[in-house]
Amino acid sequence: MDILQLIANGIPAGVMYSLVALCIVLIHNGTNVVHFGYGDQITFAAYLVVIAQTLFGAPLWLAIASSVVISALFGLFIYLAILAPIRKTPLLVQVIATLAIGTALREGMRAFMGPDPWPFPALVAPRIFNLSGVFITSANVAAVAIAVIITVALFVFFKVSKYGQAIIAACENAKGASIVGISVTKVFASIWIVASVLAAVSAILMAPVVTLSPDMGLIAIKGFCAAVLGGFTSLPGAIVGGILLGLIETTAGYYISTAAKDVVAYGVLIAVVIFMPQGLFGKAQLKKV
Amino acid sequence: MRTSTVAKAAAFVAFGLWGANPVFADSTGVTDSTIKIGFVGSMTGPAAIWGSGNMAGATLAFEELNAAGGVNGRKIEFITVDDETSAPKGIAGFNRLVQSDKVFAVFGPSSSAVGVPMKATMASSGVPVLIPSFSSPLMTEPPAPNIFRVGAINDRMQGRGIANYLVNTDKRTKIAILRQSDEYGATGAGAVGDRLKELKMAPVANEVFNAADTDFTSQVLRVRSANPDAIVVYGYPAPSAIITRQLREVGIKAEIIGSSATSNQNYPELVGKIGAGTKFVTTLEHQPESDFPAIKKFREAFQKRFPDLARQGRPALGDTLGYAGALTMIEAIRQAGKDLTREGYVKALESMDGYETGISMPTHLSATNREGNTKMYIAVIKDDLTREVLPGAIETK
Repeated sequence: MDILQLIANGIPAGVMYSLVALCIVLIHNGTNVVHFGYGDQITFAAYLVVIAQTLFGAPLWLAIASSVVISALFGLFIYLAILAPIRKTPLLVQVIATLAIGTALREGMRAFMGPDPWPFPALVAPRIFNLSGVFITSANVAAVAIAVIITVALFVFFKVSKYGQAIIAACENAKGASIVGISVTKVFASIWIVASVLAAVSAILMAPVVTLSPDMGLIAIKGFCAAVLGGFTSLPGAIVGGILLGLIETTAGYYISTAAKDVVAYGVLIAVVIFMPQGLFGKAQLKKV
Repeated sequence: MRTSTVAKAAAFVAFGLWGANPVFADSTGVTDSTIKIGFVGSMTGPAAIWGSGNMAGATLAFEELNAAGGVNGRKIEFITVDDETSAPKGIAGFNRLVQSDKVFAVFGPSSSAVGVPMKATMASSGVPVLIPSFSSPLMTEPPAPNIFRVGAINDRMQGRGIANYLVNTDKRTKIAILRQSDEYGATGAGAVGDRLKELKMAPVANEVFNAADTDFTSQVLRVRSANPDAIVVYGYPAPSAIITRQLREVGIKAEIIGSSATSNQNYPELVGKIGAGTKFVTTLEHQPESDFPAIKKFREAFQKRFPDLARQGRPALGDTLGYAGALTMIEAIRQAGKDLTREGYVKALESMDGYETGISMPTHLSATNREGNTKMYIAVIKDDLTREVLPGAIETK
């Protein structure tokens, strides 16, 4: 019975990593930038909900809506004010800039909202379902369901919609896309907005489960691992990578040792990087020499 | 083992000889009208959970003192340094306070991860250091002549106290331990295990977790397999809150008891209703939200002085221990008299035997004891998520 409980808990734990990985991959695919501050952007979005509730007395729905809108604007701000001006600098400069954004957000929240963890309102009424001895919480069900919806929506958007196709075109060949009339600046800006809206959605799902504190964004480390497992260029890969990581962690911790949980998880990651550098869903990179 | 014994012997010899050391009979940082006190602590980074509170509490105490005319005619000049939860920065900050700012004494640091690596630097400086909150026993084992701790209880004592409570008071016989993987968890939970061994028992499970983890399914299920009647969770508030929820979510009904790190005022809300009945260690007989007169007076003064922190639901434990620690420091300076020297200040601290701030545990120090508090209380989270301190302090020596 414990194996079923491990799966029942491992999947939602992994979905938390998947949500982070999904947007890291989205930003990377779209703009070539690896956003090391993304975890802190999720934390920031969660704090926006708390701020709206505690400082302005907003009801939960309004607090969530405010968080989504401000996150979107903040994503646009990151692109227009920080990353667009340095778009032609070496990639390392852009990566450092994302690290700086993350640190500024984390320490800013620590200073403004205090270093202590904050209670975060549950999106769904807390309930525990007992399925023949396997316990499943309503928060975990909601997280998995919404993650599936987001993935399907993104998949359809990029495969079916014209705008999604335009984004893919701009990502693959920015110069070519601009020649045929696609505004690369608009495409990049829209990717940042979408990723930032998803940061708010992730925040609302994550914070009640993993506890909101200024350091909640550290979960992004696992999100990066999930992205690497999935191939770093594949959106479905990010989802599968996250869930796999969650399952590996829980089962290794249970069957081997809780102290070895991370050793096994990161060991698998290193093995994937060595033997399958393209990840589970990525495409092998071929270079003519 | 041999090296450790020799090191301890050397430390005790040094401790014995220290009283005759004239280096400490100085008045650095003291003028006719001021006393320079330095603070080094974590105002940013993960340990700000304690450091920012220690600084805010001490700031309030010193400002109140200065407004009342100071101590023995001198006002406190409080100089603060942020260690950013980094030991190298803590050491650099301490050296700056001592060498550049030339402070009389230091208040802090605020976390084990920063404080323990700083110990050698602090000990060799000879500058009196008063630690108001963190709990690593390594700061007082072996004792350094100039380093004192008040208010908080060290993890070794806390672990013993938890084991004593569960076995002797609660009559538990199957105790599981879930501990943080760092020095904090290893020391505290190790002490629980050591005390259980003395009581002819062994933990039925002993699981480890990382402070930054967000899922603890494997630990929780391993504990469930051991079918305990009590579970000790020795870790920081965020992971402890998730663990407590997950323990209940998989149907475990055993008693849960957390370390003093979970005694912060908003912990019950972090865990939620599912955590009602969870117990925790506290070194405050009256919690910061209580209406005990001395606490109420402190809370009102704190919230008036720091409205931005009041908005965060403070004062919290770190604020309270910072305030109480500063009051203890002030009292020792007062007792040291008009001719204030570091030696006189240390002697005044050593003479404290039962000094009460009204909001923290009484301080008992001596020429050979640098650990001001050896008692703790157990508190419980009630159904309405308020907290109740159970009667009777637990002696942990």
